[in-house]
Amino acid sequence: MPFDDAQEILLLRSQINTLEQLLQVHEATALQQALRLEKTIERLQDKTAEVEELNRELENRVLQRTSELQAAVQELETFCYSVSHDLRAPLRTLDGFSQALLEDYGETLDADGRMFLDRIRKNSQHLAQLIDSLLQLSRLNRLEMKTQAVDLSQMVAAVISDLKQAQPRPEMAVHIEPGIQAEGDSSLLQNVLMNLLENSWKFTAKTEHPTVEFGLQKNGSEPCCFVRDNGAGFDMRFEGKLFGAFQRLHRPGEFEGTGIGLATVQRIIRRHRGRIWAQAAVNEGATFYFTLPGLRQTAMEGRA
Amino acid sequence: MILLVEDNPDHEALTIRALKKNNIVNEVQVARDGAEALEMLMGTGRFEAKAVRPSVVLLDLKLPKVDGIDVLRQLRNHEPTRLLPVVVLTSSDEERDVLESYQYGANSYIRKPVDFLQFMESTKQLGLYWLVLNQSPPDPVVTDDKSLASS
Repeated sequence: MPFDDAQEILLLRSQINTLEQLLQVHEATALQQALRLEKTIERLQDKTAEVEELNRELENRVLQRTSELQAAVQELETFCYSVSHDLRAPLRTLDGFSQALLEDYGETLDADGRMFLDRIRKNSQHLAQLIDSLLQLSRLNRLEMKTQAVDLSQMVAAVISDLKQAQPRPEMAVHIEPGIQAEGDSSLLQNVLMNLLENSWKFTAKTEHPTVEFGLQKNGSEPCCFVRDNGAGFDMRFEGKLFGAFQRLHRPGEFEGTGIGLATVQRIIRRHRGRIWAQAAVNEGATFYFTLPGLRQTAMEGRA
Repeated sequence: MILLVEDNPDHEALTIRALKKNNIVNEVQVARDGAEALEMLMGTGRFEAKAVRPSVVLLDLKLPKVDGIDVLRQLRNHEPTRLLPVVVLTSSDEERDVLESYQYGANSYIRKPVDFLQFMESTKQLGLYWLVLNQSPPDPVVTDDKSLASS
């Protein structure tokens, strides 16, 4: 037995040794891993600091850009303000004193002389109109939009009734599809319809049986509404110029205008995230199509 | 009497011409900047002891030294001119100007048209309304008793 005991002890000791060795190896590995982990944590901390630094930088940059943008907007407003005030002032003088010349010295001028003064006056007034239109255009972007449900059909009817009063056209045939609604800023949309319908009024001045039409078209998935007339129309080759500010497709004297109406219309539609396009042919009328958020036609029972 | 506050001599001449052409024969005095207008109306500086008391003030907004809105504000904070009829007559139709003018107590806001014939028409209406139709507020210094007695 003592022999067996001694043997057992030896065996145990060797086993313990082996275990100890294993333990040492594990310990070493664990230590290494711990070291590596520590390093990773350090690196992570460094990275986090870096990211935080970058974030701060980015925030600063956003703040800086925002304040730059605010300064630019402020400058634009100041500019528009002085345009509205300072550019008009000399025009008043030009127009006023031309009129004074006509009134006080008109008799000593011949027909040509009076016509020259008339031309000065007409152009002063035209430039004043251009300035006003330009200001209106710039104001469009500064105004805050108040979105609500708008009955476009009713709005068209109201605009047309105003037009009929201001420029009577008893021969004008009007067709309005009822119940067309959209989501948008009511006064801006009114501006759109006024510009489009005024155009229809203007460009059908030389048409024998003038008609103007407002309706909804469901082409594809997206519905669009349209204002259509059978007036002077235009050549589709110049479509690209249609919505540019101060671009006109008709000679001065042919049809009056400042060339700002459709630019205004496009800007408003775009602010509503809609699209506008046109289809036309010379002397065969023009149709303006546009999309708007929430465009739909409500069922109108018992109404024609 | 009309007080015209106008820094542009051309516009001054045109306004006076428009008034005359419309047979508005009231005397017209002119202040050429905001500070002068305040001195005239409040009787300070060069106008000490001889403040002018017009039936109506035609006030431009963009003025040297003290701008029109500031003139208006000071007039409304000064007891003798608190109720003085002031018509803002300016080239601007910026919403901000219209709003501020009324906020500081303008009685009317008229945009000067470029077309002189339209301006003649505006001046005619303006003269008829403020010099003939409109009843001015009683002078706060002299007429307290009289206005009570007559009512």
